[in-house]
Amino acid sequence: MKVVLGLAGLLGFGVLLEVAPRLGLVPAKYAPPTSEILTTLGKQFGRGDFWVAVLDTLRTWMLGLVIAVALGVAVGLFIGSVPVLRAATASTIEFLRPIPSVALIPLVIVLQGPTVEATLVLVVYASFWQVLIQVLAGVADIDPVASDTARSYHLNRVTRIRYLIWPTALPYVVTGVRLAATVALILTITGELVIGSPGLGQEIANARTSGAVPEMYALIVVTGLFGVAANVATRAAERRALAWHPSVRTEVPA
Amino acid sequence: MLRRSRRHLAVLLLVTSLLATACGGSDSGAPAKPGQPDKVTVGVIPILDVAPIYVGQSKGFFKKHNIDLTLKQAEGGAAIVPAVMSKQYQFGFSNIISLLLAKSQGLPVKVVSNGTNSTGKDGKDFAGLYVKSDSPIKSAKDLEGKTVAANNLQNIVDTSVRASVRKAGGDPKKVKFTALPFPDQPAALQNGQVDAVFVVEPFQQAVLANGAKLIASSYVDAAPNLCVALYFTSEQMQAENPDLVKRFTDAMQESLSYADSHPDDVRQIITTYTKIDQTTVAKLTLPKYPADINRDSIQEMADLAKEDGLLTDSVDLNALLP
Repeated sequence: MKVVLGLAGLLGFGVLLEVAPRLGLVPAKYAPPTSEILTTLGKQFGRGDFWVAVLDTLRTWMLGLVIAVALGVAVGLFIGSVPVLRAATASTIEFLRPIPSVALIPLVIVLQGPTVEATLVLVVYASFWQVLIQVLAGVADIDPVASDTARSYHLNRVTRIRYLIWPTALPYVVTGVRLAATVALILTITGELVIGSPGLGQEIANARTSGAVPEMYALIVVTGLFGVAANVATRAAERRALAWHPSVRTEVPA
Repeated sequence: MLRRSRRHLAVLLLVTSLLATACGGSDSGAPAKPGQPDKVTVGVIPILDVAPIYVGQSKGFFKKHNIDLTLKQAEGGAAIVPAVMSKQYQFGFSNIISLLLAKSQGLPVKVVSNGTNSTGKDGKDFAGLYVKSDSPIKSAKDLEGKTVAANNLQNIVDTSVRASVRKAGGDPKKVKFTALPFPDQPAALQNGQVDAVFVVEPFQQAVLANGAKLIASSYVDAAPNLCVALYFTSEQMQAENPDLVKRFTDAMQESLSYADSHPDDVRQIITTYTKIDQTTVAKLTLPKYPADINRDSIQEMADLAKEDGLLTDSVDLNALLP
């Protein structure tokens, strides 16, 4: 039922965007009807450079996300499990975290030039904080009784991380990954658009400077599909990784 | 569960390292081994102006000069200059005003080849100053107190438009400029957000399709056969590898001469690196691609830029141009 309603909503939106330019409510030259966008999109599938751009974007996105998650988890577990470090870094993190990644664009262009690396820096910077904050929260959420038990059993650091910290933090990590996946996609496309590193963003910019309006919208639709795919995939991964967790377990209502 | 999460982690790490290896090799301009062609990366903008370098690449003019050419598209000159200065790109494409500004700010830019010129024909250039079909504005003089859209402020477009206003007997200081990217200008003119636009192809075709009227060919007014843009490198590159720079210049001259005399090849190549549709490409007014640099026009541009206050000091053109 939920799926049907969702699809109906999407269909309604598509019809609205089809009808508005046809009735002259918006100029069709700048807002082409849905059917024209979809036809243009269909033509893209047959072009080699479209697929190259798709792969470029996927690669930057995934690489940035993986680096950010790996860094975020490692740094988060480390800082989080040492109270002194946690206190010492809190203000720095709160200062660095809100800096919008796009504000760093001039800096990375000077340092890296208009390259994939420049875009990667933005992607990693933006998504790293999403993961780190979640991991820190996760580590802080450890049940004090479990923590005391671990201490009285003289568990060493590795074992504590393994059996106490990691299982507690995992739901937070998964949430962090889900948030980071979307943020990483946004920054990948932004970097490609603004910096001009290869990928769908650059194709969108090229379509724009060429006055190819339907193609521009078609490419934007593709980036939207990427976003949907990211959400579906991370939700599925969440259900698998946290099958044991009360937030996912539905069979026995508490 | 714990075992599974460890397996996930292992997969994650494996994927990271695979991707890292796959993404690794993006080196450009590594010193060539003896007998190997030099790898050269050039930063360009996906517009008509750079058609000759694409033509030259497809005709093998660069290969002939032992250059393995890679063209990287940037969204604007702003990203190209730093990349050339830091030697990530060996050469770049930029308009003349940006290069004059860069030089006056002390950046070690060095022109190596001509790029694009206006057609030199009033009313038949690849760019123009347009007003709406029913606009009361008849000439550039009437722009006093009006708003003109320019893709960048304090750059080549507003400098040229001011030259048109001056030529028509108006006061350029009374014209207001507003920054608006070329793709947004046709709609802005149509909606009345601005009184005039200065557009280049393919957006000239877009405003013409809306019935807009040409009031001046500003690139023609600025200087006869104005040199609009050029290819440049860094002074370090010029000093360290003069032979490569010379070969690039030679290949560029060949490409420019060929492109200038083969407009059909130019139109064909434009469909490969831009997304301009075929019917529009056939209608475009192409710029001129002379092989030689029009120094007089650059001197006039530098004088205009100084008069308008873009440049505070005179730029030593001998240091900028080859």
